[in-house]
Amino acid sequence: MSLARPALWRSFWRCFFLQAAWNRRGMQNLGFAYAIDPALRALYPDPERRRAALARHLGFFNCHPYMAAAILGGAIHHEERVARGQEPPGSAVAYKSALQGPLAAVGDGFFWTALRPFAGALAAAGALLLGWPAVLAALLLYNGVALSLRVRLFRQGYLRGDAVVEPIGSLDLPRLAGGLRLGAAALCGLAAALVVRRAGASLGAEGWVLAAGAAVAGERALARGAALLPLASASLGAGLLLGVLSSRWQGGP
Amino acid sequence: MGLLLLAAVAGLAAVERKGFFQAMLSRPAVLGPLAGMAVGDASAGLLVGVPLELLFLGAVNLGAALPLHEALCAAAAAGGAALGTSRYGLPAPAAAAVACAAGLPLAVAGRGVDALVERANDRLAARAARRLEAGDPAAAMRCNLLGLALPFALGAALAPLGAGAAAGAAAALLRAAPGLARPLALAFAAFAALACAAGVRALRAGGAPRTFYAAALLALGVAAAGGRMAQ
Repeated sequence: MSLARPALWRSFWRCFFLQAAWNRRGMQNLGFAYAIDPALRALYPDPERRRAALARHLGFFNCHPYMAAAILGGAIHHEERVARGQEPPGSAVAYKSALQGPLAAVGDGFFWTALRPFAGALAAAGALLLGWPAVLAALLLYNGVALSLRVRLFRQGYLRGDAVVEPIGSLDLPRLAGGLRLGAAALCGLAAALVVRRAGASLGAEGWVLAAGAAVAGERALARGAALLPLASASLGAGLLLGVLSSRWQGGP
Repeated sequence: MGLLLLAAVAGLAAVERKGFFQAMLSRPAVLGPLAGMAVGDASAGLLVGVPLELLFLGAVNLGAALPLHEALCAAAAAGGAALGTSRYGLPAPAAAAVACAAGLPLAVAGRGVDALVERANDRLAARAARRLEAGDPAAAMRCNLLGLALPFALGAALAPLGAGAAAGAAAALLRAAPGLARPLALAFAAFAALACAAGVRALRAGGAPRTFYAAALLALGVAAAGGRMAQ
């Protein structure tokens, strides 16, 4: 039996809740079972068969939440074949086990450490130049890419099952990720220049020198392994101290 | 009313950050202006959200790791800065500096919140398995959505507290020593510049630092040339 579109869309919608009850033992297990439930309800009208199918999807599962859309589609593909008696009940679970690790690595490398930092840096540098419309533009850009990929991955997983690896490979995400990281670095540089210029414009040479010094010294300190939050607190403290000393020097309050 | 709205915004952001959707709505650049808007000054929220976005560019959920809680920090700091400007009439950069200093510890406290939520979710997963075993799949699946309640509640409780404390501290400080407005503005400039550097280090890409410096120098050069031409 093949699934009707509404059941598929309900499953896809529910994959946005994949991590709602993320836990240390089964990780995304409950979220995955929740997402595949509408499909299982349609495939297994017999309550006992549905319960057994849900139980097998409550086992350990962990993947990148966007890439998991491909695995969800593929698991539904396999469950359809199980419902028709063409595959043993464990085939969908084996499929999930085989793909979750590699797809997690691809998703973490592209979405979490490349596309999202790029969009964040774009929003930040854009906001310094143009204000909130740039934040909105970065948000739309990020979600345009991420949502369209999630839909596409789910569809390809459902249609192709095991062969979903091919279209994912053809996306060449690791190469794109490298370009996005360098783009994000350039945007951070642009943001630093804008911060330095603004500090100079509003606080004079003192502000310009302090901001430029904080950017360079901070980058060097982080390269040597300094911890982020103590360094951030130190930058606030150092700026305040220099400001107070400078006011005293100039005879201010 | 403003603090209630801030609580709702922070609670939803805490849910969106990991449990639902993950569409960047809880990132500081987006959350900052929203939190600021909730308490009456979106631009002060954006002022804080921009450096926090760059500071926490590397805060991502990889596997079972618990990153710093950038959303809780951003909601409290942006809310605090916006409260400082809208309720107490403080200068925005000074309020932003104090709000960031007050918000940073919440990024660490947020890790504790995440660990607490994970422990609660362990119990929810066990309950779902029992419900399914008992023949009630619908109840078992509802357990998944219950996992959203605790992060919402904790985010909604902590962010307004942090924002109120930050705004109160900034107001008291500047009332006691009005001359600190400029040193605090300098502190915020240093913090924002450091955040840009933190952003590039978070990328962990070979050529990223070189690209960072080249882009910064190019932008400064272009701006300087543009300034000279304008004269």
